[in-house]
Amino acid sequence: MKARMLATHVALPVFAIAAASAPAHAADFDWMKFKGKTVTFLANNNPVAQALLTYKADFEKLTGMTLKVDAYQEQQMRQRLVTVMNANSDEVDVFMTLPSREGEQFAAAGWYGDLTAMAKNEVAKDYDPNGLSQALLKAATFDGKLTSMPMNIEGPIFYYRTDIFKKCGLEAPKTIKDVEAAAEKIKTCDGAVTPFVSRGLKPAIAYTFSNMLHNIGGTYIASGKSNLCSAKGKEALDTYSRLLRDFGPPGVVNYSFQQISALYRSGRAAMAFESSNELRTVMEGGARLKDTGLLPFPAGEAGQVPTTIGWGMAVSSHSKQPEAAWYFVQWATSPEVQKKMALQGIAPPRPSVAKDPEYRKWIDEEPVRKEWQAALDVLATKGSSEVGYPIVANPESREFIGQAVQDLILKQKPLEQACADADKALDALIARK
Amino acid sequence: MSDTAATLTQDRQKLEMAALSAPAVVFTVAMIAFPVVYTIWLGFQTFSSTGKQSFAGLANYSTLISDVEFWHGLWITIALFVLSLVLQLVFGVWLALVLFHAKRLPGIVRSLFISPFMMPPVVAGMMWLVILDPSLGAANYILQSFGLPPSDWLASPTWVIPTIALIDSWQWTPYVALIVLGGLQSLPPSVYEAAQIDGASPFKTFRRITLPLLLPTIVTAAILRSVDLLRFFDIIYITTQGGPGNASNTLNIYGFRVGFEFFNIGYASALMLTLTAIVFGAVLAFNRLRGAVAW
Repeated sequence: MKARMLATHVALPVFAIAAASAPAHAADFDWMKFKGKTVTFLANNNPVAQALLTYKADFEKLTGMTLKVDAYQEQQMRQRLVTVMNANSDEVDVFMTLPSREGEQFAAAGWYGDLTAMAKNEVAKDYDPNGLSQALLKAATFDGKLTSMPMNIEGPIFYYRTDIFKKCGLEAPKTIKDVEAAAEKIKTCDGAVTPFVSRGLKPAIAYTFSNMLHNIGGTYIASGKSNLCSAKGKEALDTYSRLLRDFGPPGVVNYSFQQISALYRSGRAAMAFESSNELRTVMEGGARLKDTGLLPFPAGEAGQVPTTIGWGMAVSSHSKQPEAAWYFVQWATSPEVQKKMALQGIAPPRPSVAKDPEYRKWIDEEPVRKEWQAALDVLATKGSSEVGYPIVANPESREFIGQAVQDLILKQKPLEQACADADKALDALIARK
Repeated sequence: MSDTAATLTQDRQKLEMAALSAPAVVFTVAMIAFPVVYTIWLGFQTFSSTGKQSFAGLANYSTLISDVEFWHGLWITIALFVLSLVLQLVFGVWLALVLFHAKRLPGIVRSLFISPFMMPPVVAGMMWLVILDPSLGAANYILQSFGLPPSDWLASPTWVIPTIALIDSWQWTPYVALIVLGGLQSLPPSVYEAAQIDGASPFKTFRRITLPLLLPTIVTAAILRSVDLLRFFDIIYITTQGGPGNASNTLNIYGFRVGFEFFNIGYASALMLTLTAIVFGAVLAFNRLRGAVAW
């Protein structure tokens, strides 16, 4: 009797869960299952989406579905998404998202469809969900629910001019102190170039500053309170702002990736700390192909803790056809498509693709690509996806980090006041539900 | 047909006309009223960071009174409004006079003078962003080639508002000039003939005749520009996004960021309704002025 009860109450549900979670459907998987349906994709018109959408026709041919693309610039895409989701509209089936920025917020608002079951059960034989970067999958998991699938891996890396370093008798920097020393030397050795450039535009600063803070050993939050006024926090604020103020270009407070890439590509900057995604832009025209070295950002007291993020593809919780939407997400994040995107310079979030012979051949064609991949390998293994405060109001927290850095660059406040003002505002954000 | 029957037919015709036009009228009114009513309703709601909504009464408006960023934004909005409007009116009248008197100016040159306002603001913003880049831009190159010190332009908290006012004036002064030129062309020639007979100098003619007669036209141009200037958004968003720091964070930019970047739609609605009230106030004030200077 007891044995029968055990079988009924324990073993059967366990068997059911196991049966449901086993990828047993792979063999029966049919790409044509949703033939005739139309999936709407809200895309950020960035290099990642551009590379993906080159193969839009392949998806339509494979599945018999129609892919309707709604592409905007990043901020406009979010604006559209907020409007659609607040109206509980099913207009969008799939959207691009940055879990490191809006993940907490969108998950708490219930905007993400839960992909956990579909990523286990509804997969083609060669999809290999476990082959995707585990760090990025973890960063996209909120309250145990998988909310998006990674499209790429990226993070800020250190670009430097090997010819200028050689001319000034400098070695590739190993620490943040080396970067400061190199900037000082380049300032006197080659007055025509800007020694160092990175992001100075207020909302964009957190992306690069977080790497500096983590390398130095600082944290954004300690004991539930904002921690910018800690010794490490102040050191990071001071170092980052001093590098930009004393060695950056005039007007650096308006610099984001476009300006940084343009300055570096034109040969007017000796060191740039900018996204790995910018490699293609920086190398356009080929002028920097032979005189650029690439590294993860040099170590601080805590070593190297690079910022590693990635764009993800999420299914809207308001979609009326989440399974069909999942088919598109699956195709877009499959090894085959990610390999094709990698050959266009989109760093793959799958180690297997990074090892693919065709991709390795492309990497080996140029030394700078080898260094780029080596830097990305460090990002993949050591990276932290914490960009700004790990709270629901993450986008707003970036404003206050940026404000503190700008106050110091522009010498509008002393260090103590800049960090104290930021901590006060950030404590209010942390306390906000 | 008796009088009663004729009246009944007329009434019926009126009723039919009203019934036929009612859907269009209702649709038009709804299209205008719905967004306004919806925004007013949103202004009484509060949204948490996760988008959860609840009724807040007047809480958004009381937050607004104690919000330092709101008052700062209001000050920036007014400063930009005054500076840009003065520049555009002064140079607009001057340009109109040039175009009015230079009768032999080729059409292409006239078109060139008025072309900036036909350019999309986003394109204008991007163009000026490149020109004013302190490192790579042409503006500092020109200054330095004349031996003048370079400027940080949009990257300087001190100079960002005058610089944005200059960009907007570059774009919209021709628009003001075009309105004023229309006014100039409609002025009665007899007054000028009388002034000429009396031996009035060109400056005196301008001060005593042209300017007073043009005032209603200038005020009309001021009304049109005021509405745009108080809601100024595009060029600021393209060039500075409200920075450096908060130096160009106008009410409109602030409201946009609160709503669409921080997802606090309720407070953003309260901010935008306050801005709308300010725009209405300015238009009413200028309308009164227009009445006072009419001839």
